[in-house]
Amino acid sequence: MTLNLNPLIVLLIFPGGLFLIMAGLAYEYLDRKLVARFQNRIGPRWFQPLADLLKLLSKEEITPLGVQRGLFYLLPLFALASALTAALYVPMAGLLPAYAFQGDLIVTIYLLSVLTLSMGLAGACTVDRFALVGATRTLTQLFSYEAPFMLALLGPAIAAQTWQIRSINEYASQNLWLLIAQPIGFLVALVGLMGKLELPPFDAPEAETEIVAGALTEYSGRGLALFRLSKDIELVIGLTLVAAFYLGGIHSPLDFLVKTVGLLLVVALLQTLFARLRIDQVVGLWWRIGTILAVIQLIAIVLGRYVGNLIF
Amino acid sequence: MSDKDKGVGFLDKIRTWARVNSPWALHYNSGSCNGCDIEILATLTPRYDVERFGIKLQGSPRHADVLICTGPVTMQSRDRLRRIYEQMPEPKFVVVVGSCGISGGVFQGCYNVLGGIEKVIPVDMYIPGCPPKPEAIIFGIVQLLEALKTGRKPEAVAVIPEPQFENKA
Ligand code: SF4
Repeated sequence: MTLNLNPLIVLLIFPGGLFLIMAGLAYEYLDRKLVARFQNRIGPRWFQPLADLLKLLSKEEITPLGVQRGLFYLLPLFALASALTAALYVPMAGLLPAYAFQGDLIVTIYLLSVLTLSMGLAGACTVDRFALVGATRTLTQLFSYEAPFMLALLGPAIAAQTWQIRSINEYASQNLWLLIAQPIGFLVALVGLMGKLELPPFDAPEAETEIVAGALTEYSGRGLALFRLSKDIELVIGLTLVAAFYLGGIHSPLDFLVKTVGLLLVVALLQTLFARLRIDQVVGLWWRIGTILAVIQLIAIVLGRYVGNLIF
Repeated sequence: MSDKDKGVGFLDKIRTWARVNSPWALHYNSGSCNGCDIEILATLTPRYDVERFGIKLQGSPRHADVLICTGPVTMQSRDRLRRIYEQMPEPKFVVVVGSCGISGGVFQGCYNVLGGIEKVIPVDMYIPGCPPKPEAIIFGIVQLLEALKTGRKPEAVAVIPEPQFENKA
């Protein structure tokens, strides 16, 4: 019997497990440092996210009264596992995705939503009122940005006529940057990503000035660490996806670094630029403006293709 | 020292390193005149930028490592203070900011005041002043972190200000 080590390496080291965790921590550091510099601060040291993670892992984990124990401990694991799995279909670090099949775009989008869903459930399964309010807001926000974000990712898919991330990536690199061809889609995707990660100005679900820490109020120690880690990983995956779709594809590690860090710079700038929106403003923004813009973009693409076919 | 002990020692070292480098703080006012709280807020502003040391203000006691207390303990806030302390996960540390938290300060002897924070919960570090400057607060917390690193109790540090005026008697 021959032992096939390849899947193990893919899952545990690259692009799964270890690489993703390291990349997630590095991008969290970059994000915090950039925001700090924009605010005229010095900002955290380079190992800060790692120290935070290790400290949280080594802290006592309190089980609050009234929670459903099984869910309370399983949800952080779900969140981390889904974030790690989503990375398998994305061209991490500019290499080919580890796995690919027709329709993996949809699977990835779903896997990326599981994190938000588990955070919502985690808040809802405690009896703490702040966690409950946070959970309600998390889920409300999920319903508002998910549709436009998905529509924005569908644009490149329709242009490339495939549901496979790998092929879309190739299509994007062979053609004009989709950022120029579909500027509205890019904008919606980028801002949708910020909503997904609950970065300011979309941080109403964890607004610490009103509802303590949102859905994660009751989590301490390991659970909190895993949730934070999955969020970092989702940041990397989201940036990779948007860069691969709209910034002309990702084909080498250098490409990956330049494009994702460039995007992160824009995201950090937007974070410092805007103040927090109320939850009703968030929903209004997404359904009244975001979705309509995304739909217009989609119709334009479809019409463009149709007309193109008629002419040639 | 056996191999197992060495492994545990190494893990302990990593744990202490992480703890010292990422103290998340929670701020509670148990009856202060608000002077100390304003200084704490000033400490958190970009000018002093405590994120350099990894200090982050947290909203939830469940996420915090360091409880920063200001003011004397009033009868009203005694139970809340104790509850917040109990809600924090181990290991936890308490830093008292301001003379009132140390001894009761100007509120000593009031009908509704119990006295310093240490009457209710164990305290690891005192930062005197009425109110202490942001520099003093940062200095105090860094002293606490230094003490954590070596596992000692924090020692009293006398900081004598430079005389600003010639005393012409
Ligand atoms: S020490 Fe001074 S500033 Fe602080 S609470 Fe007491 S009276 Fe107010």
